[in-house]
Amino acid sequence: MNDFFLSAAGIILFTVAVGLVRVLSGPTNADRIMATQLLGTGGITSLLLVASATGVRGVDDVALGLALLAAFAAIAFVDNVAAPDSDTSKGDRTE
Amino acid sequence: MSILQILDIGLAGLVLAVAAWTVFARDAFAAVVGFVAYGLLLSLVWVRLFAVDVALTEAAIGSGVTGVLLIGAAGRLRKLEASGGDDELPGASLRLFAAALCIFVTLVLAGVVLSLPDPGPTLAPEAARHLAETGLGNPITAVLLSYRSFDTMLEKVVLVLAVVGVWSLAADQYWGGAAGNPRGAEPDGTRALLAQVLPPLGILIGIHMVWVGADEPGGAFQGGAILAAMWMITMMAGLTEMPSIRSRLLRLVLVAGPAVFVAVGVAGVAFASGVFAYPTGFAKPLILFIEAFMTLSIAVTLPVLVAGPPKRLRQQ
Repeated sequence: MNDFFLSAAGIILFTVAVGLVRVLSGPTNADRIMATQLLGTGGITSLLLVASATGVRGVDDVALGLALLAAFAAIAFVDNVAAPDSDTSKGDRTE
Repeated sequence: MSILQILDIGLAGLVLAVAAWTVFARDAFAAVVGFVAYGLLLSLVWVRLFAVDVALTEAAIGSGVTGVLLIGAAGRLRKLEASGGDDELPGASLRLFAAALCIFVTLVLAGVVLSLPDPGPTLAPEAARHLAETGLGNPITAVLLSYRSFDTMLEKVVLVLAVVGVWSLAADQYWGGAAGNPRGAEPDGTRALLAQVLPPLGILIGIHMVWVGADEPGGAFQGGAILAAMWMITMMAGLTEMPSIRSRLLRLVLVAGPAVFVAVGVAGVAFASGVFAYPTGFAKPLILFIEAFMTLSIAVTLPVLVAGPPKRLRQQ
């Protein structure tokens, strides 16, 4: 069973690695953001598979944290891409 | 070669490839995305090294909070580049020198790691032997909040000093104002929906991480970082805003963690064997008491640091 878990983790990690090409080459920033989300999902999956195969405790909390922070990173990326100069324009307006 | 070894080699190769690409990326935003991906892969590596506490911290700080900080920096740099600051780019010789220095530091670090004795010098058996006296189940928490609690307290003071440093960069006319965007700047859309759905779950998971930190991987820093991320999401969506730096409540929460830590530490003179000692049998409840306030302080400090110096006057 452990070998099956590990093989599955390896295959998922491989698909994520292929997806990383999108992080690297783009062409647009949206592609990069989506690829990191894929990396987040795939990373969490292979993390849980490897952890249950090797018997590491407390990994489910790492998975929960990664899931939350992957969504958080997505919002932060979108925030930056959507409004790249929000800092100054809004700052001056409220004065 | 077993499947696990193939997996480990693949993971290491992936980490190296993403790291190299992050360094060589031409576009700052692309480099930041690469860095976040790199942090995520590193936390997988830490789990493979059986350091689950480090994996949690790497996930929360390495890819979470640092990622947002770098995205903000990339955004500001882009504005600088757009305004024709190209001639201020460092020259080829300076960049070559920086690269040479980085390679030198890497080689020295690699040399040090390779020359370590095997097995390396360790205090792990000592730490594990006295674990029962603290009443804790997680040796990492015992080291951080019992064996070397004074160091941990100083680390929390450094966070407060960092806030002072960031605030002192405020322009004169904005002193007493607030950082970040005002509430309701962009109140609708997908971000607002996610900012309403995610925080209830995130707050629960953040508090869970602090609570289990006594016996399982987790702790105040990891839980606090998750809570900080949740507050930042609601601010990015325009549902909440950063309070004025004059806010008494904000300042109180910022110093609450270190203050409670110092108070409990000094009380050790009267009730235990000395400064930063815990009375026998009360170590665990006292540690959880300190961690509760530290979590609160960390959850507020990190967003304040990411938001930067005040940039607008608060509407009265």
